[in-house]
Amino acid sequence: MRIGGYGIKLEKRVSLTRWQAATISILAIIVALALFGIIFILAGINPFVAYQEIFSYAFVNRFGLPVTINRFIFLLLCTYAFIIPFRAGLWNIGMTGQFYAGSLAVYAVLLAFGVNEFNAQHPSPMIVLPIMLIAAALGGAAIGAIAGFLKGKYDINEIVVTMMLNFMAFWLVSFMIKEGGPFMNPGGRGESFELPESLFAPLVLDIPFTIFIALAIGLLLSYMFAKTKIGYQIRAYGHNPAAAEYAGISKFFIPLLVFIMGGAIAGLAGYHYFAAVPGVYKIARNYGFFGDLAFYGIICGLISQGNALAAIPIALLFGGLSVGGRFVQGQLNMSFGVDYALLGVLMITLVAFQFFYRYKIVVLKTKKEASRAVAHHYD
Amino acid sequence: MILDEIKRGDTVLEARGITKRFPGVVANDQIDFEIKAGEIHAVLGENGAGKTTLMKILFGQYQPDEGEIYLGGKQVKFKSPLDAIDLGIGMVHQHRKLVPAHTVIENIVLGHPNAGKILNLNRATREINELCEKYGFSIDLKAKVWQLSEGEKQVVEILKALYRGADVLIMDEPTTALTPLETEKLLTSIEAMSSDDLAIVPFITHKLPIVLRISDRVTVLRNGKVVACLDTENVTEKSLAKVLVGREFIFRIERKKVEKGKTILQVENLSALSDKGFLALDGISFSISEGEIFGIAGVSGNGQRELVEILAGLRSTEGGKVVLDGNDITSTSSFKRWQLGMGYIPADRNEVGSIADFSLVENTTMNYYFDADYYHRGTLDYKKIRELTEDIISEYGVVTPNPDVKAKNLSGGNLQKLILARVLSRKPRLVIADLPTQGLDIGATEFVRNKLVEAKQKKAGVLLISEDLEEILSLSDWVAPIYEGKFMGILPGDKAKRENVGAMMAGISWEGEET
Repeated sequence: MRIGGYGIKLEKRVSLTRWQAATISILAIIVALALFGIIFILAGINPFVAYQEIFSYAFVNRFGLPVTINRFIFLLLCTYAFIIPFRAGLWNIGMTGQFYAGSLAVYAVLLAFGVNEFNAQHPSPMIVLPIMLIAAALGGAAIGAIAGFLKGKYDINEIVVTMMLNFMAFWLVSFMIKEGGPFMNPGGRGESFELPESLFAPLVLDIPFTIFIALAIGLLLSYMFAKTKIGYQIRAYGHNPAAAEYAGISKFFIPLLVFIMGGAIAGLAGYHYFAAVPGVYKIARNYGFFGDLAFYGIICGLISQGNALAAIPIALLFGGLSVGGRFVQGQLNMSFGVDYALLGVLMITLVAFQFFYRYKIVVLKTKKEASRAVAHHYD
Repeated sequence: MILDEIKRGDTVLEARGITKRFPGVVANDQIDFEIKAGEIHAVLGENGAGKTTLMKILFGQYQPDEGEIYLGGKQVKFKSPLDAIDLGIGMVHQHRKLVPAHTVIENIVLGHPNAGKILNLNRATREINELCEKYGFSIDLKAKVWQLSEGEKQVVEILKALYRGADVLIMDEPTTALTPLETEKLLTSIEAMSSDDLAIVPFITHKLPIVLRISDRVTVLRNGKVVACLDTENVTEKSLAKVLVGREFIFRIERKKVEKGKTILQVENLSALSDKGFLALDGISFSISEGEIFGIAGVSGNGQRELVEILAGLRSTEGGKVVLDGNDITSTSSFKRWQLGMGYIPADRNEVGSIADFSLVENTTMNYYFDADYYHRGTLDYKKIRELTEDIISEYGVVTPNPDVKAKNLSGGNLQKLILARVLSRKPRLVIADLPTQGLDIGATEFVRNKLVEAKQKKAGVLLISEDLEEILSLSDWVAPIYEGKFMGILPGDKAKRENVGAMMAGISWEGEET
């Protein structure tokens, strides 16, 4: 394309540094917000006011911020559940189901100890709390392992399996918490019995301690992929399964392992939202909403390109926008679905901007100089 | 059609000043090329010389950044291969572009303008049979393409181009993957086609005898430039090699006699199925001792792949036994075999032997991540692996700015050197070298062969699988021609000759064979 004495040309990138990748992501976010601004303008709302409302509610407001942080922890765990199989070249679309399985496992432990909201007689929380956490991880891991096993042993597509397990887990939760189900709320409100106060998760500055678990997992994953033997094997399998197999890396064990690890982390998200977030402490009636939110782990994982540390700011942004978007919708009398529409535009823009991971735009002066510049560039 | 009026000896296709740049390289730099009707004009060049780029430009797959193409004296621009085909240019791909589940005739008429909406296969059969008769091709038009040998598939591609009315036939590495017998037939057919005024452009990496045998002229490329355009009658193999690599060249391989030691590998009555479920290996037995190179000669697809994968622990057997240094490893995992001293150099260095997006250090790790000297409590010692990588890079002369470059940025020869270095640095007991010099240029080929001889001198047992008869004959202490999953015999190196091995790998049993 040529404009006046200048030519614009797309050029393949030979390499991409981390900073370039980060710059591209930030540009994408700015462009997405600008695009969504059009919707505010069409609704007769000043987009700057709208964004100020969104961000101040999500990240400053004393009611909004805790919700943002809880969603951030939840999304971060779901992102890690996606990232681990992703680094092995596999797609975990089953964070939703693994999250449900983790939640169910937590309440199954409570039931096993004979705990419900009327009978708070149980061994010390020091014993029960860790067991709840472990159960959540095991529950998620168990359902994840199904997909990993089928992939490793019979090469059955993991996307299909995890997707289908989501539906099964959804209805299993429904069966367990609705009237007549083993976890039903005595009040019969279509939700599970509530956690006794003695088993509420410890809070640090009103934030559930699960934030430390999520951040620690991020650090561990980052170290694992960069330095360890198992991380190397997972990455090798992810880049080229045939070459990995050649090098003696098991094509059965790696898929199984990554889905167990991913499932376990998604299971912890179940503990987090339904047993650690203040004010919830039960499998809520709208558990499907959180199941949908879990899918944003895929988006955060893709945008962070499988980098566990880069996922942290991205999960925070998505968590905040989902909270702020919902708030602004009510505040400014907008129609339903602003929050998901905003996340959707952000997602599409970020994915579209991945184009610039592979290409860059080069502006050249007149044609003769252009070819010389190119030639010079390549020398 | 521009080319309808062309007479024998007229220039059919001409390229002037072709330049094509890719990020980081100038693949074609001011290339001039010309071919006349009835001429065979070979293009010769080592890997990375720009052959493929030029070929793709002539066939319309790439558009040149600079330069013009003339067809019958008129300037043309190919936007896609379709334009090139419509104007009379045919291409015989090295990696065949055919529909395996369709029959030969269906593949030939596929995309032909006359095929229209209703297939008149009777008429097409008649016309194609005429072509076959004229140029000496013999092929069953009703056979499915997946059942054909590489040579037969090539015939299908040639017929497809001819049936589309090609006046210029571009052939990519025409004799690769063919048996000596098939090669002979192909050369006869090429000569028949050229005497019928077809212009033929074979692109060849380093098979100089083929170039000398069939071509009238040869254009030699080096580093993206034309270094010479010669009449073939004035050149010899030696002078051509000199132009090709830019220096005096002879293969310097000695078959060194090493004292035979203990048996390293013993294979007994091995059988295996192919991916399609056919019997690919049918009761193979052999053994390799310390200091021996055991060469398996054969055209790809006769069970070599299955044999290698079984030995590497990547495929299960249908029966038989594999013993390495006295341990039965028939059902041992490949992970364990690496630790027992197996060293496997796979045929496909891009898809199996290396990981394109990994750095050279990480690629070296492929053979070291399981080595207790290179990790501590599950954490890899990347510093040590990096030093190791630097060492093997300098020892093997891998050309790279630094060990953090991604493997995909290495040329084929350099990548093969890295894989070889990585595998041999483990001092393996058994080296499995599957097509180790396939697609390499002369310099790299010589290097790889010498390294295999060096491994043998260090008392390793070497299993060499190759389609290149010269390679097998010049290196091996034992030669086993393989055909349809069976050895046609196992000959001692000094009894193995071009004639008997060539015949045996085509399935013909040879009088006086010794086993």
